[in-house]
Amino acid sequence: MQTRFIFRNTSLILITLAFMSCEKELDLFPEQSLDSNVAFSTAAAVEASLNGVYSEAQTLEVFGSGPQTLEDFMSDNTEFVGSFPTLQDIKNYITISTNATVQVYWQVMYRLINGANNVIDRTDAVADPALTAARKAEIIGQAKFLRAIVYFQLVNQFAQPFNRSNGSSPGVPLVLKGFTGTVEFPSRATVAEVHNQIIKDLTEAQAAVPATYAGTLVRGRATKGACAGFLSRIYLYRGEFQKAADFAKQVIDNKATYALVNNLNFYSQLTTEDVFVIINTPTDNGRTGAGGWGSYHRPANLGGRGDCAFTTDLVTAFTAEAGDKRYIDLSDEVTAADNVKRRMTKKYPDAVTNADESPLMRMAEMHLNRAEALAELTGPNQESIDLVNPIRVRAGLPAWTLAQFTTKQALIDAILLERRKELCFEGHRRMDLLRKGQALRRTGPTVTLATFGADKTILPIPQREVDQNKNLVQNTGY
Amino acid sequence: MKHFLFSFLIIVLGAGFMSAQRTIMGTVVDESGTPLIGANIVSKEVATIGTITDIDGNFKVEITSGVKTLIFSYAGFNPQEIALGESNTINVTLSEGQVLEELIVIGYGTKTTRFNTQAVATLGESSIKNRPVLSPQELLQGQAAGVQMVNSSGVLGAQSSVRIRGSSSITGGGQPLFVVDGVPLNDDVRTAAQGGGSGLNPLMNINSNDIESMTVLKDAAAVSIYGSRGSNGVIIIKTKRGSNKEKTTIGLDVSSGVSDPTNLIGMMNTNQFIEYNNAYRSARSLPAQTLATDYFDWPTAVVQQGKSDQVNLSASGGTEKTTYYMGGSFVKERGFTIGNESERLAGRINFDHKANAWLTVGTNLSTSKVDMDRIGVENNTFAPLTSAYLQLPNVTPFNADGTYKNTGFIQNVLAIEALNTNTFVSKRTTGNVYADFKLLKGLVFRTDWGMDNAETTAKTRAVNLLTPGGSASRDISNDNKWLSTNTLKYDKEIGNSSFGVLAGYSFETSRFLNVFVSGNGFATDDLPNVASASTPTSTFEAGSRWALESQFLRANYNMNNRYLLEGTVRRDGSSRFGAENKYGVFWAVSAGWIITEESFMKSQRFINLLKLTASYGTAGNDRIGDFSSQALYGGGIAADYANGPGLRPIQVPNPALTWEETTQYDIGIASKFLDKRISVNVNYYNKETRGILLNVPYPFTTGFASASQNVGRMSNRGLDLEINVDIVRRKDFNWSVGLNAGYLENKVLELPNAAVDLDGNRFVAGSGAQRAVEGRTLNDFFMVIGKGVNPQTGDYEWLKKDGTPTTVYSPNDRVFVGSAIPKYVGGLNSNFGYKGFDLSVLFNFSYGNKVLIDGLRFTENLNSAAGFNKSANVLDYWKESGNNAFAPKLSSSTAPLFNQSSTLQLMNGSFLRLRNVQLGYNIPSSLIGKQKILQSARVFVLGQNLFLVKDKNFRGPDPEVSANGANNVIQGESFFALPQARVITFGLNVKF
Repeated sequence: MQTRFIFRNTSLILITLAFMSCEKELDLFPEQSLDSNVAFSTAAAVEASLNGVYSEAQTLEVFGSGPQTLEDFMSDNTEFVGSFPTLQDIKNYITISTNATVQVYWQVMYRLINGANNVIDRTDAVADPALTAARKAEIIGQAKFLRAIVYFQLVNQFAQPFNRSNGSSPGVPLVLKGFTGTVEFPSRATVAEVHNQIIKDLTEAQAAVPATYAGTLVRGRATKGACAGFLSRIYLYRGEFQKAADFAKQVIDNKATYALVNNLNFYSQLTTEDVFVIINTPTDNGRTGAGGWGSYHRPANLGGRGDCAFTTDLVTAFTAEAGDKRYIDLSDEVTAADNVKRRMTKKYPDAVTNADESPLMRMAEMHLNRAEALAELTGPNQESIDLVNPIRVRAGLPAWTLAQFTTKQALIDAILLERRKELCFEGHRRMDLLRKGQALRRTGPTVTLATFGADKTILPIPQREVDQNKNLVQNTGY
Repeated sequence: MKHFLFSFLIIVLGAGFMSAQRTIMGTVVDESGTPLIGANIVSKEVATIGTITDIDGNFKVEITSGVKTLIFSYAGFNPQEIALGESNTINVTLSEGQVLEELIVIGYGTKTTRFNTQAVATLGESSIKNRPVLSPQELLQGQAAGVQMVNSSGVLGAQSSVRIRGSSSITGGGQPLFVVDGVPLNDDVRTAAQGGGSGLNPLMNINSNDIESMTVLKDAAAVSIYGSRGSNGVIIIKTKRGSNKEKTTIGLDVSSGVSDPTNLIGMMNTNQFIEYNNAYRSARSLPAQTLATDYFDWPTAVVQQGKSDQVNLSASGGTEKTTYYMGGSFVKERGFTIGNESERLAGRINFDHKANAWLTVGTNLSTSKVDMDRIGVENNTFAPLTSAYLQLPNVTPFNADGTYKNTGFIQNVLAIEALNTNTFVSKRTTGNVYADFKLLKGLVFRTDWGMDNAETTAKTRAVNLLTPGGSASRDISNDNKWLSTNTLKYDKEIGNSSFGVLAGYSFETSRFLNVFVSGNGFATDDLPNVASASTPTSTFEAGSRWALESQFLRANYNMNNRYLLEGTVRRDGSSRFGAENKYGVFWAVSAGWIITEESFMKSQRFINLLKLTASYGTAGNDRIGDFSSQALYGGGIAADYANGPGLRPIQVPNPALTWEETTQYDIGIASKFLDKRISVNVNYYNKETRGILLNVPYPFTTGFASASQNVGRMSNRGLDLEINVDIVRRKDFNWSVGLNAGYLENKVLELPNAAVDLDGNRFVAGSGAQRAVEGRTLNDFFMVIGKGVNPQTGDYEWLKKDGTPTTVYSPNDRVFVGSAIPKYVGGLNSNFGYKGFDLSVLFNFSYGNKVLIDGLRFTENLNSAAGFNKSANVLDYWKESGNNAFAPKLSSSTAPLFNQSSTLQLMNGSFLRLRNVQLGYNIPSSLIGKQKILQSARVFVLGQNLFLVKDKNFRGPDPEVSANGANNVIQGESFFALPQARVITFGLNVKF
């Protein structure tokens, strides 16, 4: 009886213990967020992870006006009169390496790159049959596009331009793999290496992404056209004019999707003018308390901060040729942040709900890129004139004739001036000057600091990054 | 049933009918002649016959002819069987049990005090009974060496801070683990703070009347059996049980008390304020001002006499096979500030049944509901006392027609408490069922299944007058845990030696859910719920889970009752730990030597017990967050794009993330002298915690800013001392005195990658004034030193970093000015018994700590236009040369900066408090009468917090503050904590 009893109870224990082998129960996952493996387990989750990269692109620090506005006030278009000391320093070329604004731009841009890298690394392995190979390629292509244009912005702002030493100067760290937990300390790739990666990504993206999307998404997602547009821009910056001209032509020739609008009412309207914008809505935009397109460029009484006004230099440029609607209709005299009446752009009217789109690339630039590139290649030519004229005409200015331009330089200078006036406050000016080897300003107390190649015409690598990563070399002068 | 019928017949037929019946009387005393109260007397032959002794040790039992032998027993004494002879009088002297050594509760078992090698502190019934506390932690105050327990304030149900031998964590949880009858409790604070940094006490549903003992596990030998949850110490609560062959005892305890605040700050009245305002404005050449001359005494208006009523009813007893305890209680309290009320209804049943020779089953189950009316506290304009202090005295709460006013930013707290709703309901059911299988002699398998289900609901509703449009919210949390513990226990005695082994497996998992909805814009104040709001402002739903799987083993060996050895190992696997460190192994070894058992000690009689113990081992802290190790993607509005939902990386993968680990050694001496009249226990310990979680910055190129990593290091070492002296031990007079004290030295050893201050010290900031500093303590105050008013110039002076006085205030002059961690905490108690009277006194103290009263920056703001009322102290401003004034001259350039954060608000936090004094009287049996209904009756009066010795310059409401509750890095700070309540309670304990 005793034996049976022990047997019975021992079995009971064994059964209990077997039943309670709970090792798997320790693999628990949160509910308000997903384990990264889950974020790459289904078609829907992968699509959402890609959206997350676009969402990061919306932020103030990436394409939500921060770095773009800087391009204009670090050069001769914008008179920055706001109270932010970190932005004041950048404007005055006295930035120090602990500048908090510079640090957060760097931080968020690399945050986007990590998100994009994860999509690029992990999408192929997703086993969901709803996710076809073709769709995978499209998703990876979009992530590469976003990674490329963020690296382009980084290398433009944190490194000397390509033409300074043919790309041999330090660029930015190239991080091309998603973070998996092992901290790496990359050193800076050269500008040329960064450019090559951008071109590689854009080229691969162009092959993979769709030519169009339903509705207005064609303006706000990576398309073959958008890839071509950015390839055109980077080749123009590098002085590879044939390629710059060719890629611009790809966009211009796609008349079903892209065309210059014949008036100036296209801002934030998602028209055929837009090759690539970041779409913002009142409930989904990148604004923070610190700024935004409308916030920087509109006065306090319209809900903005009134920080960014026209420089006298820009006013002079516009008023040299009377009747420019881009001046008359697209700007007004308002009370700026320093309580002085100043001229400010009306390209971003919505300082209340911040729904203005980020105009990253539009048809006017494609026309100007190709016109400039052709002028560089062949000197005065009719096609360049024909590309610029629709832009002038819609601005209320007389069309050019080829006879007006007797030298190559005269035509190039004219196209660059037209470019300045057309694309002002859209984040082009600084690089348009630097890529031509020009000083950022030609007047005022800061001219000596604004020369081509001067230390503080580019931003410092954030001190925190240099402290954390001993492989990073700081830019000269910081 | 047969017995019952039989007894019934006996009663019905009457005593005289049964000629064989007789009455036995007598007295039961111990060896010193002291009567033993409540000693059990049962018949060996007839289980239904028995009684217990009254308070004089007397008993009277009627027996039938079948009764031949009576068994006399008393806890801790050797039972005696007496065969009945001719005499009807039996006087019995019970000898103190050698076998029935005092048992203490340890992790997963019990042990005799004598053979224990672990460092524990035990609170027995005498330390617990008749203490009307709202939550069990409060009982620890001043009653266990090495335990610091601070109430965050005098608000009902305030969260407390309990630290056992110092804090072992910085950013992780620092609270000990509470285990009730084998069920570890969830104690995450799920209540929102309403000002201050802490919510309500998560353990307030536990009815302290059901508690038989609380054991504080302190050293590694004691806590390592709790593995990854042991490093903050463990507190085991054992609830009451019946005992075998115990006659049913019905206990009724009733008490009723009144409470008042121990201290209020003196504020200006309207006349004083106007006078001061005029003086300030003229001194600073500001245009004169005419202020309203109305006066309302806000502090007096928000303070009331608190009330507390308690009823406890219990029944306990047992037969040969079954024991039980049932308890029910109702407690209703009204705090001494308006709007703060609490009701608790609690019930418990503990039941054990011996089914047969090899199977025993049992259950413990408690359920309770706490219903609270909450108030804001501390730095919150909705806090009655805070707003009452800050409200300008010429602001009145009522309009001319008697309706409430909205008084603006400093809220009309009278209106808030009268019109708004701010309630909190907590329901909790905790319990377990177990079965013991006796497999062989000495070998027992136990399977134990437990649960801890807590549900809390917080409801607010603000009326239109106070929040335009009105607002409402409801916040519901559910925390449901279940666990299974399976142990195999083997004990064997070989001659004078014995050994025991315990092996166990447990699994525990908990599920948390939270729903929070809120809205504003109501058509009328009569609609109470969010459904009626025009604008929903939150529709939040969240959930979380964790699981813990463990194997553990403990073995002990006792050689010749003289040499003791014990070893413990526990392996914990936790869902909270990273993939690379999913399982942790914790271990401890301890040894003891009972020197008095050695032959060379046998000849002396002076020392009754001398025992040396030493232990060394490890334990962990798993309170690092549920999912801190995983790479996470988050959705929501930060990840969407162009109407498409999105996901983005939000947390760094950290597969190495794991527990914080504390290694501790402990050396102890336990001794008893002079016929066990004096007992002295001393323990020295040294703990070092490694792998403390800190935020380590990452290069941004990883895509992340920082990650939690196990990198910090901290040590706590100190001394625990317990002394108990039985000064008088006589039949009708006894008097004992006890002291317990803990000395603690805390030091932060390493904070890699932490921020660096101007002087190069690495630190982790707690509050603006407090930080954990490498090479210093976890809670060092870092402040500008305020020197005082210069009697000659009338300027207030601060000290520059180099020690020279300055009239320019600069945060760059901040220096380390002391720690919030006391050097010594402890308690003093004394118990007198004289005839039927008993008197117990408990003091507790804290020495060597600083306390910051941040609210003084508001009430001692010299600027009369600041919009707040001022402390009457500032009327003592410098007027002429030679004045030793509190505040500078009003025209001084330092006057507007006088209230800046400095040591002016930092005070000596040392105190000695008369925590508890209780006088009871046992109504003698002669008065209770000869009726059989009442066994004993006692009346008592209890005073709590009757007096306080504190620094004479202490200007705050109370030195006993911890506005941030259990927060490790902010201790000893308060805005305006509610002072502790002074409570007078009358009560009655009756046993039937």
